[in-house]
Amino acid sequence: MNRYNTPAMKTREYYLLLALVGGARHGLAMAREVERLSDQEIKLWPATLYGTLDALNDQGWITESVQTPADESERKRFYSLTRAGRQALAAETERLAGVVRIARGRLKRAGEAS
Amino acid sequence: VRRTYWWLVCLAPRHLRERHGAEMAELFADAVERARARGRLAVALVWIGAALDIAAVWPHELSRRRRQRGRIGIPDQGRPIMLGSDIRFALRSLSRQKFATGLVVAMLAIGIAANVGVFSIVNGLFLRPFPFDDPERLMFFNEKAPRWNLEIVGINFPDFDQWRKDQKLFEALALWSTSSLNVADGNGAERVVAASVTHEMDDVLRVQPIIGRMFNGEEDSPKGEYVAVLGYGFWQQRFGGNPAVLGTTLKMNGRAHTIIGVLPREADTFPGDARLWVPFRGDPNQEGQSYGANGVGRLKAGVTAPHAEKDLLRAHQPIFDKRDRERIVFPFVQPLREIAVRDYRTAASTLSVAVGLLLAVACANVAAVMLARALARRREMGIRVAVGASRWRLLRQLFVENVVLAAIGGVLGLALGHWAIRILVAQLPDTAPPWATFGLDLRVMVFAAFASIATVLLFGWAPALHAVRGDLRSAMHNVANAAFTSVGGRRTLRVLVAGEFALATLLLIGGGLLFRAYDRVRNIDPGFDPHGVLTFTISLPDAIYNDAPKRLAFWDRAEQRMAQLAGARSVGLVNCPPFGCHWGSFYVAEGMPPRGANEASPVVLNRFATPGYFPTMGIRLESGRFFEADDGRRSEGQERIVIINQTFAKTYFPGVGNPVGRRIRSTGDNAPWNRIVGLVEDVKHYGLERPMRPGVYWPLAQRPVETMAIAIKTDGDPDALIASARTAMRELDAELPLFGVRSMEQALRRTLAVRTTYSWMLAVFAFTALLLALGGTYGVSSYLVTQRTREIGIRVALGARRGDIVRGVLHTSLAVAAGGIVLGVAASLGLSRFLESLLFGVNPTDALILSGAIAVLLFSALVANALPARRAARVDPMHSLRTE
Repeated sequence: MNRYNTPAMKTREYYLLLALVGGARHGLAMAREVERLSDQEIKLWPATLYGTLDALNDQGWITESVQTPADESERKRFYSLTRAGRQALAAETERLAGVVRIARGRLKRAGEAS
Repeated sequence: VRRTYWWLVCLAPRHLRERHGAEMAELFADAVERARARGRLAVALVWIGAALDIAAVWPHELSRRRRQRGRIGIPDQGRPIMLGSDIRFALRSLSRQKFATGLVVAMLAIGIAANVGVFSIVNGLFLRPFPFDDPERLMFFNEKAPRWNLEIVGINFPDFDQWRKDQKLFEALALWSTSSLNVADGNGAERVVAASVTHEMDDVLRVQPIIGRMFNGEEDSPKGEYVAVLGYGFWQQRFGGNPAVLGTTLKMNGRAHTIIGVLPREADTFPGDARLWVPFRGDPNQEGQSYGANGVGRLKAGVTAPHAEKDLLRAHQPIFDKRDRERIVFPFVQPLREIAVRDYRTAASTLSVAVGLLLAVACANVAAVMLARALARRREMGIRVAVGASRWRLLRQLFVENVVLAAIGGVLGLALGHWAIRILVAQLPDTAPPWATFGLDLRVMVFAAFASIATVLLFGWAPALHAVRGDLRSAMHNVANAAFTSVGGRRTLRVLVAGEFALATLLLIGGGLLFRAYDRVRNIDPGFDPHGVLTFTISLPDAIYNDAPKRLAFWDRAEQRMAQLAGARSVGLVNCPPFGCHWGSFYVAEGMPPRGANEASPVVLNRFATPGYFPTMGIRLESGRFFEADDGRRSEGQERIVIINQTFAKTYFPGVGNPVGRRIRSTGDNAPWNRIVGLVEDVKHYGLERPMRPGVYWPLAQRPVETMAIAIKTDGDPDALIASARTAMRELDAELPLFGVRSMEQALRRTLAVRTTYSWMLAVFAFTALLLALGGTYGVSSYLVTQRTREIGIRVALGARRGDIVRGVLHTSLAVAAGGIVLGVAASLGLSRFLESLLFGVNPTDALILSGAIAVLLFSALVANALPARRAARVDPMHSLRTE
């Protein structure tokens, strides 16, 4: 538990929030961005992607806006970070950085001991 | 792509589908597009991944829904997954109704056991891989001659030699032919099945001798040394698995063979059921053609059988050019398994379908019982809904109950199936391929599990649907008035019973047709009299009996000696007894017009027989005479004589009344003419169901061959002669074993074994289905009568007579059964053409079978419903009205 008293984020949630830092994007673009950010490690399947986006939306970390171009079939939902989402992302980043610091320290000591 | 993916999206939770369906499809299409660049496998993986993906969002979705429900204040009773308590509850409620539960479990167990039994056979024959590396790359090859009416001619060694030099698509080709060898040592002789194989056989099968080595190309040549590689079983049995056996010699067919290796256990099953391998010793420069060997090859990776066949045909071209300009004999290639199981394919698929239908009948029965139970429990369900149980919860409860039933039925079925397999295997003819083993393996277990799951799906839907359908009010209404069954429930019950009858009809008609065909085949006249005839075979090693006079002298002595046995009435010798070997060649008839160039040239079966053979076998003479004692023995210049069979007369002398006295000769330039002295009736040499080929009998004295079958006719039990025949033969030559010892009746039964087995199995299935259908209709109409007690009471009170009540009950039940029967007859008319190849000319719409099946079914439906109808008639109006 971190100081916001929320459980640790799922990796894909973290990456999705991260993908939105640069501005609003739609689902397909986010999936590509996540793949790029994670060095092809994380592949988001359709149902998982949109399920996660809905969950983040429910949580109030992202908002969605529907842009309606002339062609109805081109309709896409665009997502952007909310304030709460930005804070959650920052908090999770801090938490991860803390974990990394501790882990580095221990590994270094273990390396010296052996 | 998108449209197909849309079907997957339909399985996703609704809000996801409605909000994001289009974008999901777009994302998916993008993934497929990118995967396409990496090949078909990648695309397939994307599809699988997408399906898993949609399955994976469901748990989140469910917990989300639960959270939402929690938010609006409905009691969150579904949260803990109370599987344990569900199972306990199911067991309690099932054990409360011991009879119904026992019935259901027994029916499921029988259905599953029958399926497990049949599947284990299918598994053994068709699915279980050969015990060799990459068995699917093993190919059978041989030569065929459509114009000689021969599907398999056998391979001529020079042809094989040509192929193995020129072919490009096989890793290796090998030739084999099985023969039995006399193996002799100090304490007597033994007949051992050996395979003559070319030296590539170990490469084709990818087996390594466990000790010693395989023979090389030099040993596998006409001048090579005599060596042998023992099979594992033979090594264990005869030498106790002693490795010191290498380098010692084994006397086979009178010749010393050096043992150079021992094969691993898996090679014991191939080729044939050979117990040891000896070199083929083929001569590429042999004179003339000798077709008879079989081939097995290992394809290179990625090559298919048709390609390999084209490759062999290409390699065969020089032979076409050199000596077969008419392209009569040429090679073909087939997967090894296909050739081994071709006699069983139709029978096995018929049995699988039949046993599947049987399981369906059992499931319909179980569904009916469970539905009746569920309808009787509507009051319980109503109360539970009234006090706040969700329908989902009730459905889950019922589902768990079904799964528990199916699991018990499945386990029992597997146990019963294990036992059924043993019975079945005991029934299997010994003509089954020797490599096929039958038994419970992982595949059979998985099959049983799937069968059990299928049964849940088949029988579980109806009860579940009806138990929780309907609104609260009617359920509560039923609390006050439990006797009324919902109309829908009753209709489903009737549909189930009708379905059972339809399937039972199908099985009865199919079984009846096959049984009639079996009867017809069994009663075919074999053309000889098998009663009291014992046959066995003797083979003279050419190392000792190396010329014709020596062999003839031995056969004469053997015949005389056998005639002296106590109980022997007559004795005769023949090279190929009925259902035995085949020795084919071609003939020309004198004075008949030559065959057209494109006409099929019939292969003629040659048999060499002694005069005593005809009376011993009871072969009937049509005209002319049988052989006489000195036929073929008189001095030079004597006219050579033959006896022909009816088919020969019909094929070679069409329109000639009596061909006795005419002359025939073998094809070939200088073959001498032979006078026909007798015409005999056909003997069904290739089996009762197969057509007979033209046949010629030669006097044995004219050509004393090495291997002969001795037939002894006795008035008593032929098996009683075996011991004394063995002793007498040992006196003549202690190193000659008897083999193929069997009575002619046994041999006849053996040819019918496959048909007998599946006909009986199908009859048993049909009978079981009939019993199940009877049980089903009895149970359902008993239940309906009980439910209608009050209604019947009112009717009686209002003046209905007992006859009216009985008629009323019978009318509905019989109408349901009749509906099912009509459906079944229609289906069988549509489906029986698939049986045609097994029916041996029995008409698929055989009126006797159809009307017989209908009569049996209707009659048994009447009997099964008479009891409930009588019970209905005995309803006491006062009593039944008061109980409510």
